[in-house]
Amino acid sequence: MSIIALLIFPGGLFVLACGLAYEWVDRKLIARFQNRVGPRWFQPAADTFKLLAKEEVVPAGVNPGLFTWLPIVALAGALTAALYVPMAGLAPAFSFPGDLIVTLYLLSLLTLCTGLAGANTLDRFSIVGAVRTLTQLFSYEAPFMLALLSPAIVAGSWQISEIIGQSSGQWVLLSQPISFVVALIGLMGKLELPPFDAPEAETEIVAGALTEYSGRGYALFRLGRDVELLVGLTLIAALYLGGLSNPLDFLVKTVGLLVILALIQTLFARLRIDQTVGLWWRYGALLVLAQLAVIVGTRLVV
Amino acid sequence: MEANKFIVPIGPQHPALKEPGHFEFTVDGEVVTDATIRLGYVHRGVERGTEDRTWVQNLYLIERICGICSHIHATAYALGVEKLAGVSAPPRAQAIRELFCELERIHSHLLWVGVAAHEAGFDALFMYSWRDRETVMDLLEGLSGNRVHYSCNVLGGVKFDIDDTQRDTILRGLEFLEQRTQHYLDVVTNDAAFLRRTRGVGVMTREQAIEYGTVGPVARASGVERDVRVDAPYLAYDQFPVKTITDTAGDLEARFAVRVRELFESYRVIREILDNLPRSELAAKMPRKIPPGEAISRVEAPRGELFYFIKSNGGEKPERVKVRTPSICNFGSVGRLTIGHQLADAPMILAGIDPCFSCNDRAVYITRNGDTQRWSWDDLCRYGVANAE
Repeated sequence: MSIIALLIFPGGLFVLACGLAYEWVDRKLIARFQNRVGPRWFQPAADTFKLLAKEEVVPAGVNPGLFTWLPIVALAGALTAALYVPMAGLAPAFSFPGDLIVTLYLLSLLTLCTGLAGANTLDRFSIVGAVRTLTQLFSYEAPFMLALLSPAIVAGSWQISEIIGQSSGQWVLLSQPISFVVALIGLMGKLELPPFDAPEAETEIVAGALTEYSGRGYALFRLGRDVELLVGLTLIAALYLGGLSNPLDFLVKTVGLLVILALIQTLFARLRIDQTVGLWWRYGALLVLAQLAVIVGTRLVV
Repeated sequence: MEANKFIVPIGPQHPALKEPGHFEFTVDGEVVTDATIRLGYVHRGVERGTEDRTWVQNLYLIERICGICSHIHATAYALGVEKLAGVSAPPRAQAIRELFCELERIHSHLLWVGVAAHEAGFDALFMYSWRDRETVMDLLEGLSGNRVHYSCNVLGGVKFDIDDTQRDTILRGLEFLEQRTQHYLDVVTNDAAFLRRTRGVGVMTREQAIEYGTVGPVARASGVERDVRVDAPYLAYDQFPVKTITDTAGDLEARFAVRVRELFESYRVIREILDNLPRSELAAKMPRKIPPGEAISRVEAPRGELFYFIKSNGGEKPERVKVRTPSICNFGSVGRLTIGHQLADAPMILAGIDPCFSCNDRAVYITRNGDTQRWSWDDLCRYGVANAE
């Protein structure tokens, strides 16, 4: 049973297919918001297969082992994280006390691998991209974690299924709006979606940390990002939007969140990296801390 | 790469550039500390080419110097040759030329708004402004049959007349464009997220603008009132005048605002031309051989002052045609303005001058010993004088 959970459903193939589908929805929505036609439904899959079939060029001066393994680790981290969230509205495939923390760390693995991949090459765009990726990681990571931990504090548990069970269909979004917004924006920062795409701003540093990647490695990084989008949306929907009770519920809530993400991506101009850092530490972190203080305070009083 | 020096190369092939140029930004962390510019990747030998073609054939070649402001090049050339021949185009032809000039300015400025927004990662504005730009492209196609190289000029006049149906189509198109432009003006001056990338970025004072020799909207955004259409009216600009649009801020926001506000002037003057189109022939007779002499022709291209020097020896072909495009005047400012800014701002400051690379690549000067060469202003003057003789 667990091998099926790992490879086919809810992990593995299902998550990959679903991630590609969500990437398509995202791209299509942005395209329509921008008055473009947008890609056909199989375009993300076609991109992936094309990249997988292409030759992977290992540039001179890199550590070949790292160069090959970083994308694999990144994708593996994202896929593993998928096992601990209520994918497709069903109970998580695996669950243990404290799995929320593990999931959050697994989600950070992709960014970390991207940064290392950039630092591993000699390319100047990659290095600037890697520095920006890691700078961004340090700026959103703490607020993002705090934002996802505040429902856990209210529920008094670090286990995802238990937190959802505790809220029993209530929308935590209503009682903790700030951390919901921070979590959602944090997810965008994690995925380097516009307007937080300074680490891969194509008009400055081509493709950022992944400039030197082609073929399989690039495909795996892209897949990892798609999976992470799916996992992140699932996690936020489950924690803040009253849990995910069935596949339909899952679909409606996650796609609803994706629409909001696509709107934000369309509406804003790219932030410079210093502006991103400023935004997170000046507003994001402080607001979440303030909300956390209120939550802890009320718990102490009640 | 030297020690302690981290250089980010932009170009010759780079997503930020639509044409090849090479920019090296020395950065300290994210801050640009030095910038060098190398041009000349798309030198096509156009000036030399003109000497092998007849006066009429050159119109075809010269219109292809630029793929955005094609008409203004042909107009500048035609005006110069007409001056040499002592012929002046009939009033209706002059007005139609001006009309094309302004339609071209509209499409050029709308294109620039999109490109510059894209540099800032604001793709929504990019897509919408380019969608609306199609309106003016359709108008130009409806008038001339072509979207890019309208080839409306002949020596001594124009090829196309404008009839009433075309007039109504243009007016309808302008109405739509004016609404949209109003919206874009609102976006570029009020959108908080976008202003974070443009306000106070790449500030050039009035003194700097003059010192660096900038022209066109870049200079006007720094408060330099310089517009050939107003200062030395050509075509029908004395009959259908435009106002000089200036701004005092000198930053990227001002460059956006000046260009967008210039669009309204263009809409207004096009309407005026269409309402009062003079009645006359479309072209005057031109001699096949142009009398010997030299002529200078200055016009205001969408990017600034465009300068033509034309020399004739009395034959069927010009002896020399010298083209100085506005971008070459503005490039100097990029190197200075990026210093001290974030690397992320550099492509925007570059895009802020609306660079057009292949138009300004006139000559390649290759030195074999050592890579860099510094020429002072006096050196450049001496070089220019020595070569003119």
